Amino acid sequence: MAETFAIEGGGLTRRYGGFTALDAVDLAVPDGEIRGLIGPNGAGKSTLIDVLSGRADDWQGSVRLRGADISRLSAQQRRRSGLARSFQRTNVFPELAVREQLEVASWRAETPNVDEVLHEMGLAAIAHMRAADVSYGDRRRLDLALALIGRPTVLLLDEPAAGLSMKESMALAELLRDLASRWKVTVLLVEHDMDVVFSICHRITVLHLGRVLAEGTPAEIRSIPEVVTAYLGSAVE
Amino acid sequence: MSRQAESSALAAAPPGAAPARWTWSVLAAALAAGALLPQVVTSTLAITLLTQAVIGGILATAVGLLIRQAGLVSFGHAAFFGLAGYFIALPARHGLWPAEVSIVLAVAAPTLLAFLLGLVIVRIPGVAFSMLTLAIGQAFHEFALRAREITGGEDGFAISLPRALYGVPTEIFQRPQSMFVIAWVALVVILFGLHLLTRTRFGRVTAAIRENEERARFLGYQTVVPRALVFALSALIGAVAGTLFALYNAFVSPEMLHWSLSGSALIMAIVGGTKLLWGPALGGVVFFFFKDLAGDLTEHWPAMIGLTLIVVTVALPLGIGGALVRLLQRLRPAGGRTHG
Repeated sequence: MAETFAIEGGGLTRRYGGFTALDAVDLAVPDGEIRGLIGPNGAGKSTLIDVLSGRADDWQGSVRLRGADISRLSAQQRRRSGLARSFQRTNVFPELAVREQLEVASWRAETPNVDEVLHEMGLAAIAHMRAADVSYGDRRRLDLALALIGRPTVLLLDEPAAGLSMKESMALAELLRDLASRWKVTVLLVEHDMDVVFSICHRITVLHLGRVLAEGTPAEIRSIPEVVTAYLGSAVE
Repeated sequence: MSRQAESSALAAAPPGAAPARWTWSVLAAALAAGALLPQVVTSTLAITLLTQAVIGGILATAVGLLIRQAGLVSFGHAAFFGLAGYFIALPARHGLWPAEVSIVLAVAAPTLLAFLLGLVIVRIPGVAFSMLTLAIGQAFHEFALRAREITGGEDGFAISLPRALYGVPTEIFQRPQSMFVIAWVALVVILFGLHLLTRTRFGRVTAAIRENEERARFLGYQTVVPRALVFALSALIGAVAGTLFALYNAFVSPEMLHWSLSGSALIMAIVGGTKLLWGPALGGVVFFFFKDLAGDLTEHWPAMIGLTLIVVTVALPLGIGGALVRLLQRLRPAGGRTHG
């Protein structure tokens, strides 16, 4: 019997005019796995997240969530099916209080967990503050918190550590690993911070020019010369 | 106080919270003040001006609501104001149905039209939305102007109303003293209703969509219908203003549909402050009195209004209402929060 994956993309292709951002990418992430998605700028990482989450138009291929074909579902429908995402640039509601926006998010969730998320993300102390008035690091955590409302099945994270200090990045990585384990969330993580990726990901997929260059455990990825040459350099040595 | 802090201070109450006791007190006081004012202000000229100002304030509230709740700027709200007038005037002219039915239609039809239009145009962001509303408004204006046989063209026409509407003598709607009270009650009820609405899930979700439409979609929200509903609600309020105007003046003309009226309503909303529910209404009152004052001084009063708009926009970005709130907070630093 074929294995059912938490999230699965088959033959994913996305073109912008003459430029192919994704070229027949196949990706399958099993339940409970934290999968890293790395590659140089322009490799197609964010495009892949956009296709999986329903943000992209005019793409080919198929997307399955726990075996169910969600290719034709809108972003809203995918979210309600248990597929959540965060964004490369902080994407919150600036004028709304932290708790208020988590409550708005929870009204669409089957299992509202505002207090749980506030606590887990360390946002309880600033719950009454407007997002525009909190620090950048707190806004990044709020962005992630919005995605965690309702305990999604699959979480697509597009550079959640962007702009954070090394200490903040590693704290976020620990938090992600802990939550993914306890809440049984499957995570697809796009991240340029290799310390974060190599410390928490079970497996890593390397994209290059819209294609899958390699896939394997962190140790395997480190040992592939093309990957090291093309992207990693001395970052993980 | 920083601009961010000011903005925080002007934010609405926590979601789902029951109206505070002060809200009911303010409602009662506002209704009482409106009922008493015509007894205090004996000048017919002043009360006429006040009546016009309150009706203008209702139209400005409609425009302000759209900005506050949906982040959309309309240059065409005169369309809903004017359509309401014609929905009362045309059936009366052609003897189609009772005036009471026309009044209901005058509010309902522009609201429905706005909802249907909204399903299409709220998808279009920023200036393009504003231009579309301008185009739609001007289309109705042009129609009213050119279809002389139906609308009376540029001259407009007097509305022949029955002696009583809903059992109330029609003259009640046409005497400034009584019409002021009716318009005032309508304004207070609208503001109170909007105050309650902002506390509902609908109010919170539309505020979230205004803030970040994309993120709202990725939280699972359908974003077009809620914005279309806000547009329709805003049109409903504009239509109420148009209905009151038509009943008060018993006259309609294409001027009720003209973009300059939409522009004036927008100026009122900005001058009063769009972050506060009552800001645009305050702007309406200020606008009418300033216009009257400036009109006495110079025939170039529109230039003075333009200059005032520039000064208010630069010096008081939260409008006169926002400045008043700020002043009150300074006078009472340990006091409670101010509510929209």
